[in-house]
Amino acid sequence: MVEMNGSKALFEALNAEGVKHIFGIPGGSVIPIYDALFDEKKIVHILTRHEQGAAHAADGYARASGKPGVCLTTSGPGATNLTTGILNAYMDNSPVVAISGQVTSSAIGTDAFQEADMLSLMLPITKHNFIIHKVKDLPAIVKTAFDVATAGRPGPVHIDIPKNTQNEKADLKIPATVKHEKVLKMQPTPGEIGRAIEMLAHARQPVIYAGGGVVWSNASPELVALAEMVQTPVVTSLLGKGVIPEDHPLALGMLGMHGRMVANLAVTECDLLFAVGVRFSDRATGDIRHFAPKAKIIHIDIDPVEIGKTIRVDHQIVADAKLALKGIIAGLKSHVQRGRTSEWVKRAEKLRKELAPRTDYDEVPTKPQRAIKEIMSVLSGDAIITTEVGQCQMWAAHFCEIKNPRHFISSGGLGTMGFGFPAAMGAKVACPKNPVINIAGDGSFLMNSQELATVVENEINVVSCILNNRYLGMVKQWQDLFYQKRRSGVGLGKVPDFVKLAEAYGAWGGRASKPSEIAPKLKEALASGKPAVLDIPIDPDENVLPMVPAGGRLDEPILT
Amino acid sequence: MKNRIFSILCQNIPGVMMRITRDFTRRQINLDSITVGVEPSGLARIILMFRADDHMAEFMQKVLTRLEPIIKVDVIDPEEGVVRVVALIKTKKLAGDEHWKVVEKIERAGGKIVDSSGGAILAELSGDNEEVENIINALGREIVTEVARSGRVYISKKIG
Ligand SMILES: Cc1ncc(C[n+]2csc(CCOP(=O)(O)OP(=O)(O)O)c2C)c(N)n1
Ligand SMILES: [Mg+2]
Repeated sequence: MVEMNGSKALFEALNAEGVKHIFGIPGGSVIPIYDALFDEKKIVHILTRHEQGAAHAADGYARASGKPGVCLTTSGPGATNLTTGILNAYMDNSPVVAISGQVTSSAIGTDAFQEADMLSLMLPITKHNFIIHKVKDLPAIVKTAFDVATAGRPGPVHIDIPKNTQNEKADLKIPATVKHEKVLKMQPTPGEIGRAIEMLAHARQPVIYAGGGVVWSNASPELVALAEMVQTPVVTSLLGKGVIPEDHPLALGMLGMHGRMVANLAVTECDLLFAVGVRFSDRATGDIRHFAPKAKIIHIDIDPVEIGKTIRVDHQIVADAKLALKGIIAGLKSHVQRGRTSEWVKRAEKLRKELAPRTDYDEVPTKPQRAIKEIMSVLSGDAIITTEVGQCQMWAAHFCEIKNPRHFISSGGLGTMGFGFPAAMGAKVACPKNPVINIAGDGSFLMNSQELATVVENEINVVSCILNNRYLGMVKQWQDLFYQKRRSGVGLGKVPDFVKLAEAYGAWGGRASKPSEIAPKLKEALASGKPAVLDIPIDPDENVLPMVPAGGRLDEPILT
Repeated sequence: MKNRIFSILCQNIPGVMMRITRDFTRRQINLDSITVGVEPSGLARIILMFRADDHMAEFMQKVLTRLEPIIKVDVIDPEEGVVRVVALIKTKKLAGDEHWKVVEKIERAGGKIVDSSGGAILAELSGDNEEVENIINALGREIVTEVARSGRVYISKKIG
């Protein structure tokens, strides 16, 4: 036991968790914590220019590294500015630990200056949240917060710390462990495994559908091993991109509204859908009544809530994805392996080639499909791609061939414009050796472009490639396709000049006005030794196609 | 849609009820009854009653079980335990014959007269929800002027 105040204890606790970086902005109700930060030797604080940027950065950090990302704000507006970022992390199961100062306990409820009821505001958008009124509770609560954020299905946790707690002194010790009343079922049972093996062995046209749960349980090697063992094609969700290298012969790519045709057809035709670490999002399934209509469905997930939520399941395994896949692989080895008619795999491979989307456009302004192809031509498998939201995101999802898990970071569940750039910043801080590229839309980029100051000041050299169509393109696409081209509220006009915007912050700025300029310019940007913005004017009328309309059938996409 | 009863074991800390109720509100489920008590262990026991189809009931059980402060959610089959509500009722001022008739009705239905010093009768009723409802209806709205009713309380018949 050592006597210390709550602020000092907070840093002791964060150090005990192995925290290396914090993204944040100070203010009146969090000054004691920033005062303790002044003496902190091991943890680096990165001052963002908006708290939403801090939350997304912590989220990007967590997704790239697999370790919790941490952000810190003051009370009131500082804390409320976190909320979009926290919900974003919640929807995509990212372990963010968010900490906010709060007005003094005795003032809570009096509408004190910069008081916001964060316990209520954060409650529905976190996995769990706390307020610490007594300093003696702080060490155990911080420990619990990290445990909750990372255990089972990960998710964000918010800790509200009133100023009195930050200042209060007590004899404190950071506990190595805390007791949890809840027990998580991580291990599959032999019965669960056995039945899955039977179903796999009997399937003639199986498909594996893998998602973010495979990423979070680090089960990518097992997933690929299983796919190869049973010669089964793999489709992924948006958040599952990279769990199997997308150039693998069995990888059919992303499914869903803007998925690959071959992935959507394979799911429609399969007789067994082996779903692991996915939640059957409506953007992935389309019309649920016609989703995998011929298939028996196996669903593996750590969170029982997801099983049977929107879709009927024939066999469920509530378990960690890695443990479940390991169990199935071990069981398959001893199981008499029937030679699977490889007709199905051959057909999938053939369709994959036939339905491969076109990228060889030469037009000026550049077609976005070509733009992504050029961007990817410069990068190798270690590059981490983040995306903004809209058409840019779906082009990235459709055309970026991702080879590794945690190398495609995108706002899936919430679809948050402004996520990609600060997330790239977080990813780069977590993985300084990897090139980090944010594939952005012009609209989205402006939602958190103030973080250009952060990346320049902190030498966080990420590159934003802006697919610049001067439109809120995805909304425009819906208006064009479903609202008789009545383009309402979607034109973004002529400003800003993104090159000048970058330069105003001291970043590298460049423009690639035709397809052949993209690769050389991107190389220049990467070699500049600075954060960079590459403006790529694209065809403003290009749509993301094929597209399955909301609630439509996966096998009935709009093609033109 | 059927009546559902959940018996929830949870930490006895502020905010748990809010976490629970919002999960119902968001899915447009009305809670018909809520009762909270503290167990000898120091944990809280919440009994909830609501209407939902089988799918939603199973889903809600999983949703609630996922909440950090919640340790266990048991789905109660009323047949396997005892479910009671307690109601306190007040009548209008009654005199003479009418007074005695009402007292008799209440007592015959198993109710207990708590007070009648001011001329009105205060009585305590208990039973399953329907029984209590029936007694009140039998007395009639012109007689009964006020009803204070508890939520459902439940205890299982299981031993140990
Ligand atoms: C914060 C937020 N506001 C609004 C939307 C709705 N929305 C979805 S895509 C989109 C357009 C995005 O425009 P841009 O970033 O330029 O990308 P584009 O679709 O043009 O590639 C909008 C407004 C959203 N997803 N997020
Ligand atoms: Mg745009």
